[in-house]
Amino acid sequence: MFGRLREALNRASEHIARGIIDTLAYREIKPEDLQPLLDDILLDLVESDVALEAAEAIVAGVREELVGSRIRRGEPVERVVREALRKALLALLDPGPRPDLAGEARARCGGRPLVILFLGVNGTGKTTTIAKVAYMLRKAGVTPVIAAADTFRAGAQEQLAAHAEKIGVPIVRGRYGADPASVAYDAIKHAQSRGFCAVLVDTAGRMHVDSNLVEELRKIVRVSNPDYKILVVDSLTGNDAVEQARLFNEAVGVDGVIVTKVDADPKGGTLVSVAHAIRKPILYLGTGQGYEDLEPFDPQKTVNRLLE
Amino acid sequence: MMEGVRRAVAKFLKGGGVYEKAVDAFLRDLQRELIKADVNVKLVLSVTRSIRERALKEEPPPGVTRRDWMIKIVYEELVKLFGGEQEPQVEPPKTPWVILLVGVQGSGKTTTAGKLAYYYVRRGYKVGLVSSDTHRPGAYEQLKRLAEEAGAMFYGEKEGDPADIARRGLEELLQRGAEVVIVDTAGRHGHGEEAKLLEEMRAIASKVRPDEVALVIDASIGQKAMSLAERFHKSTPIGSIIITKMDGTARGGGALTAAAVTGARIKFIGTGETLSELEPFAPRRFVARILGMGDLESLLERI
Ligand SMILES: Nc1nc2c(ncn2[C@@H]2O[C@H](COP(=O)(O)OP(=O)(O)OP(=O)(O)O)[C@@H](O)[C@H]2O)c(=O)[nH]1
Ligand SMILES: Nc1nc2c(ncn2[C@@H]2O[C@H](COP(=O)(O)OP(=O)(O)OP(=O)(O)O)[C@@H](O)[C@H]2O)c(=O)[nH]1
Ligand SMILES: [Mg+2]
Ligand SMILES: [Mg+2]
Repeated sequence: MFGRLREALNRASEHIARGIIDTLAYREIKPEDLQPLLDDILLDLVESDVALEAAEAIVAGVREELVGSRIRRGEPVERVVREALRKALLALLDPGPRPDLAGEARARCGGRPLVILFLGVNGTGKTTTIAKVAYMLRKAGVTPVIAAADTFRAGAQEQLAAHAEKIGVPIVRGRYGADPASVAYDAIKHAQSRGFCAVLVDTAGRMHVDSNLVEELRKIVRVSNPDYKILVVDSLTGNDAVEQARLFNEAVGVDGVIVTKVDADPKGGTLVSVAHAIRKPILYLGTGQGYEDLEPFDPQKTVNRLLE
Repeated sequence: MMEGVRRAVAKFLKGGGVYEKAVDAFLRDLQRELIKADVNVKLVLSVTRSIRERALKEEPPPGVTRRDWMIKIVYEELVKLFGGEQEPQVEPPKTPWVILLVGVQGSGKTTTAGKLAYYYVRRGYKVGLVSSDTHRPGAYEQLKRLAEEAGAMFYGEKEGDPADIARRGLEELLQRGAEVVIVDTAGRHGHGEEAKLLEEMRAIASKVRPDEVALVIDASIGQKAMSLAERFHKSTPIGSIIITKMDGTARGGGALTAAAVTGARIKFIGTGETLSELEPFAPRRFVARILGMGDLESLLERI
């Protein structure tokens, strides 16, 4: 019985001693330590084109994580904050495994082809990106069929046909004014009957708030039943990236994102905005106008760039 | 969605309390709205600083409350950023008038070339379009078809030196009697490998000697607008700005920034994909949009 009491006393004094050492060695982060740093970070993020809504959410997350937590005395709060920020950005940009399009297409050979549909607002780079993805797939040994389902914009058919010819992949064209869904459908049938393993469907650029055109997109999706609906976003986009991503995702469901024109030297905040808005994987970055200018997305690299 | 600063204005106008505190609270809301509209962050800070100074210093004229006057100051300072209250001059001051369209990839140059052609054809001018974009597949066919739709003459070559093509196009179209000639160019941003594309743009400009270089800028562009506009401006001085894709949800603050750094006037806005969807720029309506307010008129009329 005495033994147990002594044990308890020992434990208590140990606890107190550790408490004293702790208060000497550690300190608690107070809101006022954080505020100026977080204010700066918010501005930095916004200047890097992270949409205000996304930047505020990220900063709030970091604040919540750190307020009241304890750090070693002598350790600069700034470093702790930057570490937390890095982790938050990485978690946001890297929501899980990314599909291997070539592998999945190969696995479909002989059956229903892998159908990938590209969508987005006007001029983001959908058609060019399709050419790049076609080039990549062809190099990986799974030549895709391209469906030129932009039957609206002047020159869209000629643009895609010229790419297809240069890359050496088949294309199914549509007449201007024809129903884009039926062009996609024809391309899938064509691929299936000729033994192609993938179909890339180009769609006309459209505003995410144009209800007629969004309805048309829904119809293309219904008819072509794509395995992947890839949203193409221009990396020069500011706050509107959130709106684009959210509304397209609500309208048809987005499975992955490709961000283009990264060679125009943006800081990369647009990627954060899109990831914040829809939490879907970013698959590739467009880095130029050539066919080789398609890079697998590397979240680490983007985060480093943002935190530079 | 376009509630924006309307609530902040209402709060500011109705709210009591210390004037200076109310000004600061309002300016914080204003800063957020301007940032959401993609106005350059540094520009946001500097414009709100000037507003604050004036708001604390100026005495409103008799019969106007300090708070109403403050909103007037906000409007004036924003309007100043893009060159004033006047509606832009869109009529060519002389003929022939040569417009060179430049801008980043996909911003809407070729479509806008078609729209401008349509606009001037409808006003009775003989218009010619020149395609000098040898980079983007289909660019030639795109402009050719738009020229047909607009009722304009067309000249283009698919391959060769863009500057020479542009010059030949201009000469031929002038010979055919064009009064307004619009030269479409390939998209470019000028960074890294594309530095040489700025050279190309300079070469085109030096061969066609345009009366007006128009920067075509996407309403959704973010913070990069400033440095891009500066780069373009350094290569070929920008005389006017056309904002495209105003029919989406973007508010166009990047274009405002571009106007501020180049000193160029915003002339037109594009509000859709079809040729008729081009409007002369209306400063008031644009400020209202940047601010996320539907109705600025009624307030301004009251003051
Ligand atoms: N520098 C650069 N330019 C690109 C990139 N991706 C696309 N572009 C250019 O952007 C412009 C528009 O590309 P498109 O592929 O026609 O865009 P889109 O989304 O299909 O356009 P619409 O069909 O009209 O909506 C073209 O000049 C492309 O060469 C990129 O990664 N870097
Ligand atoms: N919704 C909408 N789309 C527009 C507007 N202006 C242009 N577009 C679209 O934007 C896309 C790109 O337009 P283009 O005229 O090809 O752009 P560009 O600047 O010539 O592109 P490059 O020559 O590749 O640099 C097309 O889909 C156009 O239809 C506009 O005001 N509203
Ligand atoms: Mg396209
Ligand atoms: Mg063009």
